[in-house]
Amino acid sequence: MSEALELAERALRVAEGDEALAFVSSERSGLARFARSEVHQPTLIENEVVELQIVRDGRVGLAVANRTDEDGLRALAARAREAADSAPADPDFPGLAPKTEAPAVEGYDEATAQLSPEEQARLAAAAIDASDLDLYGFFTSALTELAIASSTGLAVSQAMTDACVFALAAVDGASGHSEQTSWRVGEIDPAEAARAAVAKAERTRGAIELEPGSYAAVLEPYAFAELLMYFAYDAFGALGLLEERSYAAGRLGEKVFDERLSVSDDGLDPRGLPKAFDFEGSPKQRVDLVENGVFRDVVWDRSTAKRAGGGRETTGHAPPSSLRRWGPLPFSLSVAGGEAGSAEELAQLVGDGIYVSRLHYLSIVNPREGVITGMTRDGTFRIRGGRIADPLVNLRFTVAMPELLAELPGLTREPVLVNEASYYDERYPNGVLVPAAATARFDVTGTGSTPGV
Amino acid sequence: MRELCDEAVSAALAAGASYADARIVSRRVQTVATRNRRVDRLDDVDSEGVGVRALVDGAWGFACDRRLSAEGARAAAARACAFAKAAPGGHRRALAPVAPAQGEYRTPVEKDPFEISLADKVEQCLRAEGAMEHEDVKVTSAFVRAQREHKAFVSSEGASVEQELVECGGGIDAMATRDGITQVRSHPSAHGGSSAQAGWEYVDSLALEREAPRVAEQAAALLRADACPSQITTIVVDAEQMELQVHESVGHPTELDRIYGTEAAYAGTSFLKPDDLGSLRYGSEHMNVTADPTTPGGLGTFAFDDEGVPARREPVVAEGILRGFLASRETAARIGSGSGGSMRADGWSRMPLVRMTNLHLEPGEGTLEELIAGVDDGVFLQTNKSWSIDDKRLNFQFGTQIAWEIKLGELGRMLRDATYTGQTPVFWGSLDAVAGPEEWRLHGLTNCGKGQPGQHAHVSHGTAPARFRNVQVGFRS
Repeated sequence: MSEALELAERALRVAEGDEALAFVSSERSGLARFARSEVHQPTLIENEVVELQIVRDGRVGLAVANRTDEDGLRALAARAREAADSAPADPDFPGLAPKTEAPAVEGYDEATAQLSPEEQARLAAAAIDASDLDLYGFFTSALTELAIASSTGLAVSQAMTDACVFALAAVDGASGHSEQTSWRVGEIDPAEAARAAVAKAERTRGAIELEPGSYAAVLEPYAFAELLMYFAYDAFGALGLLEERSYAAGRLGEKVFDERLSVSDDGLDPRGLPKAFDFEGSPKQRVDLVENGVFRDVVWDRSTAKRAGGGRETTGHAPPSSLRRWGPLPFSLSVAGGEAGSAEELAQLVGDGIYVSRLHYLSIVNPREGVITGMTRDGTFRIRGGRIADPLVNLRFTVAMPELLAELPGLTREPVLVNEASYYDERYPNGVLVPAAATARFDVTGTGSTPGV
Repeated sequence: MRELCDEAVSAALAAGASYADARIVSRRVQTVATRNRRVDRLDDVDSEGVGVRALVDGAWGFACDRRLSAEGARAAAARACAFAKAAPGGHRRALAPVAPAQGEYRTPVEKDPFEISLADKVEQCLRAEGAMEHEDVKVTSAFVRAQREHKAFVSSEGASVEQELVECGGGIDAMATRDGITQVRSHPSAHGGSSAQAGWEYVDSLALEREAPRVAEQAAALLRADACPSQITTIVVDAEQMELQVHESVGHPTELDRIYGTEAAYAGTSFLKPDDLGSLRYGSEHMNVTADPTTPGGLGTFAFDDEGVPARREPVVAEGILRGFLASRETAARIGSGSGGSMRADGWSRMPLVRMTNLHLEPGEGTLEELIAGVDDGVFLQTNKSWSIDDKRLNFQFGTQIAWEIKLGELGRMLRDATYTGQTPVFWGSLDAVAGPEEWRLHGLTNCGKGQPGQHAHVSHGTAPARFRNVQVGFRS
């Protein structure tokens, strides 16, 4: 039994309720953050958090603590009990997840788990040393363990590793970015990421402005992934569907996107950052969200499945307690690759348009219509005659995702794992498997600053 | 607490640090949220631990440990020093001198929020939700929160302080849907209501139940409102949206760590340069912005920041001219001015960063009605809905939940889906009036993100409604 599961079992033993569930999340991580080619904010974190959910007479309460000795757990149980006793009975509570076996998944690598702070610093240095320009970013790796034990007999745990190098090569008037993410540190090459960032940055010097308007565009995986994630918060979750506030409302079963687009959420995929179970303890399932342009389904947890009725069951997508207001969330989006060999080939398909490397500060303008705004950064280019041409200043875009996804002239063959964790709160590695994409419509609504710092 | 901090600092010095500080933080947060008359969230969260920052041969290291024991304190110190020693780069870091702080501070509280029962908090939310009943409103939600953070700080220079900060907050939302259109109204703010450093009296003052019918009626009315037309026009922005305008286009650009590039990879940099201090025209003569960590009720209020620098009110923009930056001891030493005072960390497991404290747009004169009366043709914008700004904090776009046409000095028809956009100094240059002290409100937000690993800061802004000329509303056609 893992230490995390053992702690969950200990917490469960002191719980006083009709039902109880203990969730444990432990983290041992290091993040060597650098700016101007110098590590300036290196952070080592060790933490272990226990969440105890107690059900008493149909009332549900939750308490969380990181003090895990016996006194700490007893205090936790008392607070969870008080919380439960303070709530009105909830007739819609779906009950705790039943005893099930978690699927076997990959996602743990001993070499990554054992990385020392000195090795983490050395990998940051490998990126810095390979850059001819000032380098900004980080190297991070972690061992995260999740465990759930409940009064229903559920006892699941997973140890997962993750590593990421993020490289932004930047000087006044030029910047380029590259990153690599994997659960195996051996697949990360910090020097290669740095060199790719430098190569991109060198092409951004002398950026020119662009008239706002609607353009065909090539989106690198980093840009495409971020747009999809922001769209997915509402559009691919069951709560937005049930509450009729998302783009999915009234559209399941309809062909609303380009037939080249197929999107799933697949926490079991070893190419991503695999997960065995969700925050309720339900096994992760692959969900086909979009198949050849047809909007097939959204992701579900136990609450939304009960609310939907009709035999609907959880797909293993319950969010962490702090994100419950979003409902079930797709943390492992995966977009099927297309036929193009490279982003340059996509530029040939586009002919005349723009090339977008990376985005900044997205915001959902209209969730029902899937309208998202944000800025491009660190490598925006004009595409002329099918070739990536003049560098452009950073552009403001405001796009309706259904329009952007309605006509996709092409996608690259090989999806790339794009890190989507910003390491707020407790660590939960997650990313999107996504190819580069060409779209017939990307709406530019303003211009911003030049690339660079 | 301070004894354990001493233990950590001593261990760091013994491991080779030339400077070290330690913070112990114990934080309790209660959150009650209801949605469609059901309890959606009833959490009571405790977190405690020690964070140690060490400067070794000019390089920083930070490590933390959840164990509040001598062993945990020493382990964190040793790991911080080891990480600092391993850090690549030619480090030369200095800290602006500051007298070692000694003292204690406690948020003044009338009603201890943890003496209010969770059951009463649930009831408060359900009552507010009940008052939002409307046939077009499909989703109602209400939430209240309480936080107590007890923290101790000790540095190797002799600083030793202890502070207890108490926060409370709440908010309500109504989402109306009909014929494929969805609209939301919130009170007192969107995206998590509003919070203050205060007791439960602050939540009571939000009058969630009293405001609920208006929120629901406006959400429903927006379903039938016309979309806001695109145009270049005069806008009057309400105090709540001005909070975010100040936050994004003045607060973040004036953070000196961003100006020096240390946030370049994530949050971004700034269009400002160190040499702009004292000379750059940021906006019109009506623009006066002040950083004030002494503001009663502010979420950024303290006696000492997380480097032990005493709180002090300072101008950032005066009559439109850039007069100050938000700084740490390190960035203050680098620019050769001041002693910092804006370093804050999110709990015990994160390294302090330059953060906003309380950043205010100082009031002008007159009422909101007088601002509107001075507009022949324009738009009045209220309550943030969406927000985005570029990595240098120049190009921004904000959306608001609701807007009204202004014609000949009076509010006209309601408008939905309004957005406005601009370039920071151009926009602030078009400021031609800020309403007076009677319209000035303090708003507190709890979702300001920055840093890697990510950190949330709790920040307040005092603002009054303001008027701007020649602003792009909607999108350029």
